Amino acid sequence: MAGGAVPSPPAGYADRTQRADRERAGLIFVGEMYGVQIDQLALVLDVTPRRAAAVVARWRGAGTAEAAVLSGGPRWVWLTRAGLATCGLRYSPGTPGLSRLAHLRAATAARLALAVAPQFTAGGAYWRSERRLRARMGGKIGQCEHVPDGEVHWPDATALPWAGECWAIEAELTPKTAARTVTIMRELLTRTGDYGCPAADVHVPGHPARHARAVYLCSPAALPVVSRARAFLGALGARVEIRTLPAGAALPGARAADREEHCR
Amino acid sequence: MIGRWFALLAARAIVRAGARVLTWLTLAAVAVAAAPVSFVCAGAVAVAWSFGWPPRRLLAAAAWCSPIMAVWLAWTASSAGWMAAVSAPYRAWADFWRLAGHGDLARAAAAVAPAAIPLGLAAGALVWAYLTGALAAGVGGLSPASAVAFDQRQWRHQALWARARIAVPGAVPLTKRGDIVVAGAVIRSVGRSAGTLATIGYQRMRSHQVVVGTTGTGKTTLLLRLCAGFMATGLRRHAKGLGAPPLVVVLDCKGGSDARRIADQFGQVLRQAGASSTAVWPDKASLSVWTLPPRQLTTTLVDLIEHGTGSAAYYADVMDALVALAVEAPCGPPGSATDLLARFEPGWLAAAYAGAGTAADHVLIRSASRHLTDVSLRLRTLFRRLGTGLDGPGTFGDADAWYCMLEGTDQIPVAEVQARALVDLLAHFAAGGPSQREILLAVDEFSAVSRRLPIWQLYERARSLGLAVQVSAQSWQGLAATEDERYRIAASAEGGIWLLRTPHPEPLAALAGTRKVIDTTRRLGRFPVWRRHGSSRLIDAPVVDLTLIRALDVGQAADIYRGGVTYVQVKQLDAGRAALRADTETRPADLRAGANHASAGKTAPQAQWPTDLPDVAPVLDAAFGPEPRP
Repeated sequence: MAGGAVPSPPAGYADRTQRADRERAGLIFVGEMYGVQIDQLALVLDVTPRRAAAVVARWRGAGTAEAAVLSGGPRWVWLTRAGLATCGLRYSPGTPGLSRLAHLRAATAARLALAVAPQFTAGGAYWRSERRLRARMGGKIGQCEHVPDGEVHWPDATALPWAGECWAIEAELTPKTAARTVTIMRELLTRTGDYGCPAADVHVPGHPARHARAVYLCSPAALPVVSRARAFLGALGARVEIRTLPAGAALPGARAADREEHCR
Repeated sequence: MIGRWFALLAARAIVRAGARVLTWLTLAAVAVAAAPVSFVCAGAVAVAWSFGWPPRRLLAAAAWCSPIMAVWLAWTASSAGWMAAVSAPYRAWADFWRLAGHGDLARAAAAVAPAAIPLGLAAGALVWAYLTGALAAGVGGLSPASAVAFDQRQWRHQALWARARIAVPGAVPLTKRGDIVVAGAVIRSVGRSAGTLATIGYQRMRSHQVVVGTTGTGKTTLLLRLCAGFMATGLRRHAKGLGAPPLVVVLDCKGGSDARRIADQFGQVLRQAGASSTAVWPDKASLSVWTLPPRQLTTTLVDLIEHGTGSAAYYADVMDALVALAVEAPCGPPGSATDLLARFEPGWLAAAYAGAGTAADHVLIRSASRHLTDVSLRLRTLFRRLGTGLDGPGTFGDADAWYCMLEGTDQIPVAEVQARALVDLLAHFAAGGPSQREILLAVDEFSAVSRRLPIWQLYERARSLGLAVQVSAQSWQGLAATEDERYRIAASAEGGIWLLRTPHPEPLAALAGTRKVIDTTRRLGRFPVWRRHGSSRLIDAPVVDLTLIRALDVGQAADIYRGGVTYVQVKQLDAGRAALRADTETRPADLRAGANHASAGKTAPQAQWPTDLPDVAPVLDAAFGPEPRP
């Protein structure tokens, strides 16, 4: 036996392994983003929406996920307590809040759009979701810290010029007041500590800022206010990048003002 | 006959005493019968006395509690009908006594509370108003001195309460909704309605103000708070699109090491208030007088040099003409002091105007050439006094807040010249600067430079330039050199006068005017007993209590505005933790023109944040497309 040839895996084994890996990654993705719609999950799994629906049906059978029609468009999928435990995510389980669905979709669309950029893969970047940031903050309820919709970390030791930076990502669907936007921008750009750090470390004079940049992904309605707020920041505004939300960020069938900002 | 007369007197005394006893007994009976209301009333009066509250505060409390009664009556009406609601107070009162009779005091109190609390507070307000009113009119108390003792005790209570209020974290915010700056907690107000917080509208902040108080009374604390409030409110208004961005400029005319400590504090406080960048002149930032238009530059330079009178006026005219020729030469205005001084070299003017200029210019150059050396010498002296801080580069637009230190204690002539130049630069910036700003100019320790800085002239034209001036001095005499100028400054202070402890408050206090008060005389029976007979009259009493001003504690100030005065306990701003990094105290001019500094042998500019961030457009464009146009 020792000298015998190693048996080759059965046909289609590699495909199945790859698919299983993708499904595991998809499960974690859903857990990180609170919940996603099946069309967006299909992009994560790199399959057709019909195939993604079948995967979701399997997850539901295993008790790791739940799915329901919460808004216009495809069904929403989210992880159950068992699913979160399977993924090792210590988040509180729950159905995505109806008032936040539009915002969740926009944040997911932003993450997906960034993930397909060649530099994202080349730089080994990773997305730290709002749910993870909030979980790090633990039970510090009542703190007036603004939590971005995500952070993108660009690890050091890559060839990218911006390697080592951490970006705060904000998806702006509905316009806030300019004053509020300025306050949030300033808070993001001057923060020095990680989320969940002791209060004394949140803004420490002389320490480098946590976020090298704040990337604002805006709907057409929010764009003027965000642009004005950036101009208002002066030199600090050079660290604010503004782009439009990617295609597919809008909730199908939803009105533009989905009021999700009111709940943030 | 005499016996009958004595009997009549005795009968009258007995009747009077009986009536008085009857009245007291009736009042006592009513108080006992309405025990719950009486209890709340007594408590309210005790609280008002111990905190020094005005009666209207108790009335407001009663008004806030009235919904309890309304809900209770509505609930009674819905459950038992309208007639039951009408009789509900009586039944509550009856239930109270019944339950109290059975020893169930808790239920008895609960049964009567919805009616007793608002009524008790309202009754307390009436009783407290009567007591304070009687004492203020000189009627109450055993002797006329009772009113004075009562007032002093109330002041102590009110001051204690105000200090306690500012000590509570978050109780005194810097600004309030509606573009309002909060200076501190109200101790007492006269002739104005004031709540618990001393507030100043933004529009008032945009008017001229005067601050007078001796050393160590909290002038700088007040100044910092007002500046920070102006900055925070101005930024909020600008963000809403309601106004131009604010700019705060402080001229500290005292100088010294203390000024540097305050400058650090100023930077931290202003950054916490939202200023993107602060600058300290001349230590960490510079300005340029050479940005002035040529004609104004000529006027400023000539004005900065002291001239005599009489025959010296001739030389002043000669100097004016020569400086004008040098500054307005066909090759353009000078860019630095060295450049200007080089123009007074023999032959330079002739060469510069050769082929250009009018015949009059050539005649002037020939006739005045023998004075070139003298004018050059005087200009050299001027530039030595001005220092390098005004030789550029930089403008007031480079930072949101400027703290300018003038060495007015050590070198008064230098401080005078610098103050004059800075104010001219600021006036030019306000009048025609590239970006319009809403400016607050605060001149601290104005007396050090008041001889050469006729700030009342600026007062009169500043309002139209969007420039508010706040002058502070240690005394009335320090406001200006002459009485006329002092009155001009004080009378133009549309935004109000802040009086801190000062030994001579009369002239400023007089500007608050008078108010009608009741003055009562009481007949002395036998010392120390005063009878309750006397007469009252209306008199005009000063709104500002001069004795109080002379006795104000550190941090207490009197805000005189529109015929009223509010005594305020100023809340000190905590500059312990800056909102931004410490090195955001920028050298704006350095950032703008690093090359000039490098050539001048200065250190390389230090950016507040990394300005050489790599371009991330490739990844963002790939993911989200190009940056949109708003």
